[in-house]
Amino acid sequence: MNAVHPGRPVRRYGRGEQIDTLAEDLILGALSRREPLPVPGDPAVRLLAALIDDVDQRRSSVSMTPST
Amino acid sequence: MPNVTEGSVADAKNGVRLATRSDESDLRELTSLAVQGDRGAIESLLGQLRPMVVRYCRARLGRVSGQYHIADDVAQEVCIAVLSALPRYRDMGRPFASFVFGIASHKVADALRSSVRCAVPTQDLPDGPDDGPGPEETVVRYIEAEHARRLLSRLPDNQRELIILRVVSGLSAEETGNVLGMSPGAVRVAQHRALARLRAMAELESIA
Repeated sequence: MNAVHPGRPVRRYGRGEQIDTLAEDLILGALSRREPLPVPGDPAVRLLAALIDDVDQRRSSVSMTPST
Repeated sequence: MPNVTEGSVADAKNGVRLATRSDESDLRELTSLAVQGDRGAIESLLGQLRPMVVRYCRARLGRVSGQYHIADDVAQEVCIAVLSALPRYRDMGRPFASFVFGIASHKVADALRSSVRCAVPTQDLPDGPDDGPGPEETVVRYIEAEHARRLLSRLPDNQRELIILRVVSGLSAEETGNVLGMSPGAVRVAQHRALARLRAMAELESIA
């Protein structure tokens, strides 16, 4: 039976979206393994790379709090 | 019990590789030995999990006064809690990491609830030159990371948790799925949606 509840949207993934999903998984996998990536054009990936870089930082010697 | 300091996260790269590439059955064996009180197994297990926990806490809690002291303290609490709970741990078929990140998630939530901007001890001034990034690079990195953290905080809870576990803590799609109770395919679809949201928010902010 293929009926779908009228209140529930039918979600279909096209081939393009599947490829996007797999490509993104490869990029995220590389990020998670801290493998070097070319400068990402995707702003989301760039932000995540910046967060990883910051979180992995060995030590922070500069305080961001302005002295009063 | 190894101490969690900022320096100890250091070779995060190795830590991530070690943790994610470990054969699951080896980790299960290691966990089993640790539960029985084998000191070497406990140290090895914590050695594998600790860098991921520290990164998770840092990503969730961020910096206070430019430092990761609070996040690192919470990570230390997670490690102590895991160690305390080890004798009572029973393998129910789910990976040990899901047990650890369950504890971490609660500890972070507690820390967020009781977040008090307390005094942060500063390090002694170094006597020699600092080989780390200069002030300008540090500030740029700090601003970008804070931007990422701010946008992540606007994602739905489950998507934020997924992205932090998958990307920052360094878990694979399979491991992330095990922690969150999702199939690897569902993880990939959810991370695709999370990235799309992040991208849209970032682009909107760059236009505004």
